Amino acid sequence: MFSTIRIVMPALILYAFTANAIAVPTKPEAAGGQGAQPVAASVMPSTADHHKFKALQKQFKSGPEVTEACLTCHTESAKQVQHTKHWTWESVDPQTGQNRGKRNIINNFCTSVVSNEADCMACHAGYGWKDNRFDFTVEKNVDCLVCHDTTGTYRKLPGFAGHPVYKPLEFPPGSGRRVEAVDLMRVAQNIGMPSRTNCGSCHFFGAGGNGTKHGDLDSSLQHPGKYLDVHMDEKGLNFSCQTCHATSKHQVSGSRYNMAAALKGGAHMRGMKDASPASCQSCHGNKPHPVTMTKLNQHTDKIACQTCHIPAFARNEIGTELSWDWSHATKMGPDGKPVLRMDSAGRRAFDSKKGTFAWDSYVIPEYRWFNGIAKYKVIGDKIDPTQTVQINEFGGSADDPDSRVWPVKVHRGKQPYDKVNLTLTLQHTGGEDDTALWHNYDWQKAITTGMEAGGLPYSGEFGFVSTEHTWPITHMVAPKGDALSCAQCHSKNGRLKDVEGVYMPARDGSKVLDTLGWTLALLALMGALVHGGIRIIAAKRG
Amino acid sequence: MFKVIGGFVAGVVFVGAAAYNFMGSLMFREVPSPYGVEETVARIQQNIQNVGNGWALQGLRNPVKPLEADGGNALPVLMIEACSTKYSGPILNDDAIRFLSILMPCKISVYKKNDGKTYIGLMNAGLMGRMFGTKVGEIMAGVAEDQAKFTIFDPDTPAPAMIKNTPAASGGSSGGGAAGGC
Repeated sequence: MFSTIRIVMPALILYAFTANAIAVPTKPEAAGGQGAQPVAASVMPSTADHHKFKALQKQFKSGPEVTEACLTCHTESAKQVQHTKHWTWESVDPQTGQNRGKRNIINNFCTSVVSNEADCMACHAGYGWKDNRFDFTVEKNVDCLVCHDTTGTYRKLPGFAGHPVYKPLEFPPGSGRRVEAVDLMRVAQNIGMPSRTNCGSCHFFGAGGNGTKHGDLDSSLQHPGKYLDVHMDEKGLNFSCQTCHATSKHQVSGSRYNMAAALKGGAHMRGMKDASPASCQSCHGNKPHPVTMTKLNQHTDKIACQTCHIPAFARNEIGTELSWDWSHATKMGPDGKPVLRMDSAGRRAFDSKKGTFAWDSYVIPEYRWFNGIAKYKVIGDKIDPTQTVQINEFGGSADDPDSRVWPVKVHRGKQPYDKVNLTLTLQHTGGEDDTALWHNYDWQKAITTGMEAGGLPYSGEFGFVSTEHTWPITHMVAPKGDALSCAQCHSKNGRLKDVEGVYMPARDGSKVLDTLGWTLALLALMGALVHGGIRIIAAKRG
Repeated sequence: MFKVIGGFVAGVVFVGAAAYNFMGSLMFREVPSPYGVEETVARIQQNIQNVGNGWALQGLRNPVKPLEADGGNALPVLMIEACSTKYSGPILNDDAIRFLSILMPCKISVYKKNDGKTYIGLMNAGLMGRMFGTKVGEIMAGVAEDQAKFTIFDPDTPAPAMIKNTPAASGGSSGGGAAGGC
């Protein structure tokens, strides 16, 4: 009773105040007195109208010109960006010292940026990175617009080393599709805080297609419903990316390279210095369930929030790529010409340029112990081709207090390697030159050029090796009603059937204990039957 | 005498309980598919179009979509609807059994379960037909025979495209109805 009053009374008081506020709107005169001027009907979300800046009132010929104009006011912004992964494409592991990042790793999608910079840099926050001579200190080469455009007209296409389209062109060549030149002045005058569309223009389309890479990031998150992501729900909380990935000095928090896999303590106060704001715990704490659900709160020392609250990823028709087999690339159709074939849902299934793909939607994750440290295969690392090569190895175990069971997407593939030097190879794929794989369909030339660009020895003999690339799943958080139920893990063939090192009731059992228990139960039953039988016989005999 | 009646009653109760328990699994079948949801749907659709006997696709429903629109989640379910005038005609023209139109169009459900695998849910048309007399039994036996062919897959043929926009049945026929349907 008392608890009901405790809840109802504040609610009534709150209602009384808010209802009054709604019922009696304040008149402008009353607030400001006689001399007060009426304010504009609507105000801009920003404190600056960029249409009014002289520096932006000109026809820009290139992206760097726009950046120079931006820097006249935002004097430090380029320097800040130049210290971020979005510019360097490097990430040093603070614990192992390993230098990772797109620039250094070899993945099992497009494999490597080396020798393919002109294509890959469509997703670099910069202009002009076309080979290893790119100068990372030139401030005007920082691309402000790719993150801050609000017009939706700023596009960077593969093949232009990060520059947008300055002249109308047909893209892809021969497709008959025309891409208009970007109006740089219009874009520069209409900049704003990054939206989901800005971030998504690269992060939704990694590895050359919508939803291809991550599994929990695709264009459906531009306008998501509640079912897809309870935080980003367009009609609900409507989080932008940076609501969680809080940003300071252009440093965007939260990265799969340096993950906080296990956070302890309560929710974090905003404004507090916080190394990992991009985590569930930073808002929800590590005991997020009501006290009546103590058992669930006891799970948080072993289970990541995402394990229960993201029951499946790629929850839409877009789907995600689950495998890429490069060993089928360069195979032509019966007429000797390149073939492009789609799967039943219209997603790429085979491409003579790239090989064979497998896709799926509503994917049930795999589960791994993870402590936030992942060791990546970087360019030049030795491999054992008799084993499946792990592109990244997740650290962690049941004994590690900093480990939790995480849901992951595992992207499986086959990709080329040097049979003598035992390294994954770099291959020159994009471009119109004679050695580009996607132009000439010649593996030998493509690998020779790629390895030369990366400064790696190449024996001239290549084969294909199986690889696995693991991705932590952390987006597409379902409403709480759709979290996993107990039995989905606590059963013989449940979700966590392959997770080792921890005892799980209903999944695990002790043969000795089980046998002992069943024996006791059987003996009790037999005792009851014998006892009852004796009583019946004794009663009959009088 | 008591023993005989008691035994008979016990037998009736046992058979009744067994029938009650197994009825569901007898009326409906579930078979695993070697393909994903979309490819399974596409291959079944292709088989339906190729099997003849007046079969035509009537629609492809996604019962999960309304749930998602309401903010909820479920693993994917796609329901293929198909009909054949050869089998539907005699039922629709007989007042005594016209109520069986409630079973039209024929539905095949393709869905994913929590084990990540794809399954096909089918009605046991043959058994169900036998419950409604000889005429319906014979018709439904034909349906069952064709239905078995819907789920025979040839792994050597490339995956066809899933047909998403099958013309829905309107006025008893549809675009697909020119070649069949109901």
